[in-house]
Amino acid sequence: MAVAMTMARMKIAILRHSMSGQQGGMMASAGVLGVLLAGGTIFLAFLDGDWLTAGYAVWMLGWIIGPVFSGGGDETLRPEFFSPLGMRPQRMAAGLLVAAFVGLAPAISLLALAGLVVAGAREGVAGALVAVPAMVLQLAVFVLLSKVTVALLGLALGSRAGAIGAGLINGVILAFLGQIWVFMAAFGQGGQIPAFVRYLPSGWGLLAVQGDYVALAAMAVLIVLLLAAWAALLARRAGTNRPSTRGRRPMRATTANGAVVAKELRTWTRDLVRSHQLAFALSYGVFFAVTPLLVGIPGMVPLAGPIFIMMAAAMTSNAYGADGTAHWLTLMTPGASDVRGRQLAWLVAVSPIALGLAVVCTAAVNGPWALVMSATFALLGGGVGLVALISVVGLVPGIDPRNRGGNPLRTSDDDGSATGMAYLMLFLVALTAAPAVAVAVWFGWWGVPAGLVTGALCWWGFGLLAERRLAADGPDLLHVMRTGRRPGGEKSSSSFTMPDSLSKTQRMIVMVCLSLGAIPLIPQGILGAVFVANGQLGHSWFLATHVQPALRYPVAIAFMLLGAGMYALGGWLWLRARKADEQAGKKAAEKTEADGLRAGAAAG
Amino acid sequence: MTEHALEIRGLAKTFGENVAVDHVDLIVPRGSFYGLVGQNGAGKTTTLSMAVGLLRPDAGTARIFGSDVWADPATAKQLVGVLPDGMAMPERLTGREVLTYLGLLRGMSKEVVAERAEELLSVLELDAAEKTLVIEYSTGMRKKIGLATALLHAPKLLVLDEPFEAVDPVSAATIKMILRGFVAGGGSIVLSSHVMALVEQLCDHVGVIDKGRVAAAGPLDEVRGVATLEDRFVELVGAGTVTTKGLSWL
Repeated sequence: MAVAMTMARMKIAILRHSMSGQQGGMMASAGVLGVLLAGGTIFLAFLDGDWLTAGYAVWMLGWIIGPVFSGGGDETLRPEFFSPLGMRPQRMAAGLLVAAFVGLAPAISLLALAGLVVAGAREGVAGALVAVPAMVLQLAVFVLLSKVTVALLGLALGSRAGAIGAGLINGVILAFLGQIWVFMAAFGQGGQIPAFVRYLPSGWGLLAVQGDYVALAAMAVLIVLLLAAWAALLARRAGTNRPSTRGRRPMRATTANGAVVAKELRTWTRDLVRSHQLAFALSYGVFFAVTPLLVGIPGMVPLAGPIFIMMAAAMTSNAYGADGTAHWLTLMTPGASDVRGRQLAWLVAVSPIALGLAVVCTAAVNGPWALVMSATFALLGGGVGLVALISVVGLVPGIDPRNRGGNPLRTSDDDGSATGMAYLMLFLVALTAAPAVAVAVWFGWWGVPAGLVTGALCWWGFGLLAERRLAADGPDLLHVMRTGRRPGGEKSSSSFTMPDSLSKTQRMIVMVCLSLGAIPLIPQGILGAVFVANGQLGHSWFLATHVQPALRYPVAIAFMLLGAGMYALGGWLWLRARKADEQAGKKAAEKTEADGLRAGAAAG
Repeated sequence: MTEHALEIRGLAKTFGENVAVDHVDLIVPRGSFYGLVGQNGAGKTTTLSMAVGLLRPDAGTARIFGSDVWADPATAKQLVGVLPDGMAMPERLTGREVLTYLGLLRGMSKEVVAERAEELLSVLELDAAEKTLVIEYSTGMRKKIGLATALLHAPKLLVLDEPFEAVDPVSAATIKMILRGFVAGGGSIVLSSHVMALVEQLCDHVGVIDKGRVAAAGPLDEVRGVATLEDRFVELVGAGTVTTKGLSWL
């Protein structure tokens, strides 16, 4: 136990150091959101039916999927730190598990699991008492499932087939999560949650509380098994991933731009992280589009191609950051255009799949051809332009590929910013298609030339901006990648009202929160509630009108809270940065004053 | 033409509160083999990065054969070959691919690139690892492929940051031979190191950097006087109080 306690103490020390500054702010806002979600889950315990089980199934899914999408999850204490100590894997896994209980996510999950106490109390005193060990065991199951998934994924990413397979599976799961309304609507129409959900490991705590004490033992056994599996996986993690090294294609490039394209295309096919990204985007696009077929809605099938493009752009939004300090070579060879070459390579990698998907999926349901093709061309151009621009402007320093270590999904130490950037990219790329889509809606096939024109403009224009930025700020970008820090406060910001102390990514988060917060707040939240109140059920995409009676208001309220939360987060980040700016200004003024006094004293 | 191979005037860089380089002046004469020595964190890497255009200085200029690195980067960068320390390469390429694509990016013809790449790989003994990606190279191999990229376009000045760090003795001997040949052929070299013996063995000029300033610079014999470079260095950087305390439990 000594090992475990030491590791937990290490983790607390690291967390304490990171509580201040920007990261502390992010943690605070994540905490508020988490507490809201946990509160919502506890509320489910007061309902009849299997809602609480379903809620916990979602939490479990979150634990499994979260790390996959946010770059490998909590790596505050890495197994590599302890490998020189020669500990037995079992002991190290147990220690890391205890340390994994320390943190925000486990605390919030434990709060959500307090729903078990409520459910237990409804059964009687015994139920409430059993709920306490059940909560702890259930949390251990969540944490361990998460750890084992990440470890398995790391292993899978060691081979090409594994990387692609993992990408496909992750895409499917996330697409299902994104389309969760389909499942909610499907179950809502059926009036109940399928029975198997009760018997998922996420439901065992509830079973125990309801008197099925075998479930407690089952959780204990599962924990032991998962711990053993994790220990075994940790022991295998020591080495770095092996890239594929078979057959080399002959080199045909003869020009400078050809060289950039060839370099990039080889990286596309050899870097398993990139294989994973493309596979993910592909399966996300397809499954997002076809899931509504489950409730008999074929209308989204033709969206597979456009969604794939958006996801591919989001996944590659940190292209320069992911390559790390290799940027020095570009700096030392002025004259060739790295940006244009990269753009071309991106198009070569993405557009065949995108066009194929768009044609096949639209043909499958004989969908709106003009609309889909307009969006596809506009998005391809928007994506190829914005990937270049955003990856230069919003660069999140990556980990040099050779230092990625045992968790190849983790390409940046600042995965919060990297994830934020991916979401921002989704939104911005979608915006670039708006003109063409609008034209297609009103004038049909005229949308296609409109898409081609806006796409070409984005490609050319954003690429040009990226190129200029790279030429002007190249050395500064390299410095950021080398040290992880921006050259501090040399320039006063050119942005109009954004405070200087906001990082670029934070600025984008603020912009997205403030511009998109309206969607959950007003249509899905307030209007949804209005429709429910008026008894207008089954109303197009207002989720609250599709679900079970007991959940209608909670869903609308959850959306309102989400929207309000987005506004709160955006506003709070902005205000805090403003305050930091003022203080910095005050300090600078004080310093000048003190210098003046000193100078005066010296003169006197 | 009496331009110096590298002329650094008043280069300065501050990171936050920490003054990394404090108005450094250095002149590397044409045809010289110049060693830059200093403790860890003295500012060697920062100075060299600013001198070749990899890090923007707060103040000062750097000229390579008269071309300003920051005002006229295209000309300056054509004249210099750089080996930075600890930077990534295009990791998913083989050594030959790295050289080929970089040569093409420099505007060289395909035939010339192929010829030089072949020669570099064989002289640096990287040709055995024909199918190995750079990401799988050992530290020594990384230094060698870095040196190859620096030499590829026939520069007149080489700027090498710790070229011998973590390189095995056999490879080091090869690299030394290549560098000596480069200087004998009229080229100029600046290298940084904290191995004094190596600098004494290779270089004819030396600059000592301490806490971001030039503590001494000039021809090797002038700088070290009658002492060894190591003694002179310890004297210059004021580290005369080398600790004599042992570790109590050993």
